[in-house]
Amino acid sequence: MLRNANRPALARFEGLIVTRTREGIGMRRAIIRTAMLAAVIAAAGCGGSSSSSNQAASSGGKVTIVMWHGQSSPDDKLLANLAKQYMALHPNVTIQTSSGGTTTDGMLQKVTTALAAGTYPDIAYIYGSWAANLARSPQVADIHSVVNDPAYGWSDYWGSERARLTVGQKVIGLPAVVDNLVVMYNKKVFDQLKIPYPSADWSWDDFRAVAKRCTNPAAQTFGIGYPTDSSEDTTWRFWPMLWQGGGSILTPDQKQAAFNSAAGVSALTTLQQMATVDHSMYLDPTNGKLEQLFIGGKTCMRISGPWELLDYKAAKLDYGVQVLPGTNGDHQTISGPDDWVIFNHDSARVQAALGFLNWLDSPQQDAQWILASGSLPVRASVMKDQAYQKFLTAYPGVDTIVANLQNAKQAEPNITQYPQLSKYVGDAIVGVLLGRAQPQQALDDAASKTNSLLAVPQ
Amino acid sequence: MARRGRRRRRRAENIAGWGFASPTVLLVLVLTFVPMGWAFVLSFQHNDLISPPHSVGLANYKALPNDSELRQAISNTVYFTLAVVPLELILGLGVAIMLNQRIRLKSFYRTCFLVPFIASAAAEGILFTFIFDPNFGAVNSLLHGMGFTRQGFLENPDQALYVMAAVYLWGYIGLNIVIYSAALQDVSAEVLEAAAIDGAGAWARFRHVILPTVAPQTVFLAIWGLIDSLQLFDLIYATTKGGPLHATETVAYYIYDLVFGGVFFAAGYGAAVSVGLFGFTLIVVVLVSVLERRTYGAQL
Repeated sequence: MLRNANRPALARFEGLIVTRTREGIGMRRAIIRTAMLAAVIAAAGCGGSSSSSNQAASSGGKVTIVMWHGQSSPDDKLLANLAKQYMALHPNVTIQTSSGGTTTDGMLQKVTTALAAGTYPDIAYIYGSWAANLARSPQVADIHSVVNDPAYGWSDYWGSERARLTVGQKVIGLPAVVDNLVVMYNKKVFDQLKIPYPSADWSWDDFRAVAKRCTNPAAQTFGIGYPTDSSEDTTWRFWPMLWQGGGSILTPDQKQAAFNSAAGVSALTTLQQMATVDHSMYLDPTNGKLEQLFIGGKTCMRISGPWELLDYKAAKLDYGVQVLPGTNGDHQTISGPDDWVIFNHDSARVQAALGFLNWLDSPQQDAQWILASGSLPVRASVMKDQAYQKFLTAYPGVDTIVANLQNAKQAEPNITQYPQLSKYVGDAIVGVLLGRAQPQQALDDAASKTNSLLAVPQ
Repeated sequence: MARRGRRRRRRAENIAGWGFASPTVLLVLVLTFVPMGWAFVLSFQHNDLISPPHSVGLANYKALPNDSELRQAISNTVYFTLAVVPLELILGLGVAIMLNQRIRLKSFYRTCFLVPFIASAAAEGILFTFIFDPNFGAVNSLLHGMGFTRQGFLENPDQALYVMAAVYLWGYIGLNIVIYSAALQDVSAEVLEAAAIDGAGAWARFRHVILPTVAPQTVFLAIWGLIDSLQLFDLIYATTKGGPLHATETVAYYIYDLVFGGVFFAAGYGAAVSVGLFGFTLIVVVLVSVLERRTYGAQL
């Protein structure tokens, strides 16, 4: 799960905030929404067991909340600055931001131990694929009554984000970042090899042909790199191919595996051909080298997302962006949102946490944020903000990635067994890419494991 | 009267002794025994560290034999240990004997061997993923240059565990060399000389003089090496994360994956595996020390 750890989420932003005006429509809307939340939460009796953990507490109308963001410099400073700004606007709220002593990769471990010890924060940065499991905690707040209010504007957020945050009846937080998969290509290498830049209607056959042309054993160059650590990174690059062919991950009742369908086999066969016949695919079992290999021109294409744009910029890479190749004209992609999960100490603290996150996600704040970080807007209305145009010019190709959010039509099933299912499929993919198994057999094997897993009542 | 006074003095000494020792004792209790006790309690629960736990009796232990991933992790760990521990001892003693000769820059060489031991496993791991990279790594360039075919190394499930063993040896052999080097200073020059006069060849001198002298250190290093390799985690975490296809997944890494990997959310079951690993390590260590004591009984 390196995709967001690698992504410099909240980049050099400090300079920008200082010059921001704090009033404006977005801000007012956020304040109104916060007031509304307060009323709804009070009505819903959202209070839970109060905890004296962390030094944070609510007393005498003053509330102190703790946010673990898992970010390192300079992003941590950016968040601290944002919190400072928010505190200036809301003198009764104190926000303690810190990495939580970990990275986004290590956040789940940190949060689970903190939950066990009773010293959990109010807000933590959590990968989307962990959401369903974390939602089992009674300490995780449920804000569904807040966001389900039609006046809230929940539908302004992207569907993939809402799907990830909704676990059963529960809504466990607000979106932190959103992304989706596209193909990045190295223009310099394409020019040298006289390969025309891919068009939006390209197919996986075109993709395979280009990858083959970029492959040169003597020069040790490849078409594409693929992470073979059987992680979610391995699996989520496969799902869009499955969906494009009309397949799905599970049956509609979510009781059986469905990825071993003809669509799944055909998708995996494409990858197999590239890895074992064309040898145009560099396999990385450590899942740590692929971005650098692409930047260094060793692979001419990369299936990846917006979190790498800042690195490309820093490396002065002349890159292009195109949507994923399609199957019969279907160019579906996958979106992997990460969340700010809210934990419940008492209703005042939940309310304060929600207020801060709402402000952070407001179109005005978010437009500035994405400009600094290269992340995508977390909600549609951000695209109407003036600063959004600056964002488009600052990151060449990012408009394609934003538009591609519309191609994220399906989401991974939000069930507690998903991470294990993902690992089974990851193993199947890796087995095939290493030439140890055939697609049908590998997927059947993963499907039977998945079925036994799903048969166990949760 | 005199006896009572002595007793009182002894009691005062006892109190002072415990006073000095108590900070350390407290640290060990809090940082080792409390977590161990907690893990033991966890192993009887269905616990994901997220939702409220409930007791499941021996269910976690009963599930152990049916876990195929655990079986693979155990076999990986055993193969790794069997490959690494004897080599550590043999190479460690061999290099120590070579460095014990009258050669120039002796301490420089000793330092060279110790440096990898001081370096962190994470740094080592990352370094070696580059050296053993199938396409861009130095080892394959060398092999290719010598006319051999390129190898998959960490990409190849059949080779990855042995590559890990080689990296581990590189990192840990320094400790054995230092300990053996110190032990070799105890080998009496007179005895060696007497043995030589009595007609003992180099091998006989090694077998009957040097080896028995360093026996206590061998026992120590064997036990240390066993514990370390049976619990191998850091190197795997920094490099392959158990892959490809679980080929380098050790028991310790599997426990981490079960509890904190974000996949299984099975802290209760993970605790049961860790209690199993603890018990197994304890048994192996006791067996080894008993066996070695029997062999070298006179010296120990």
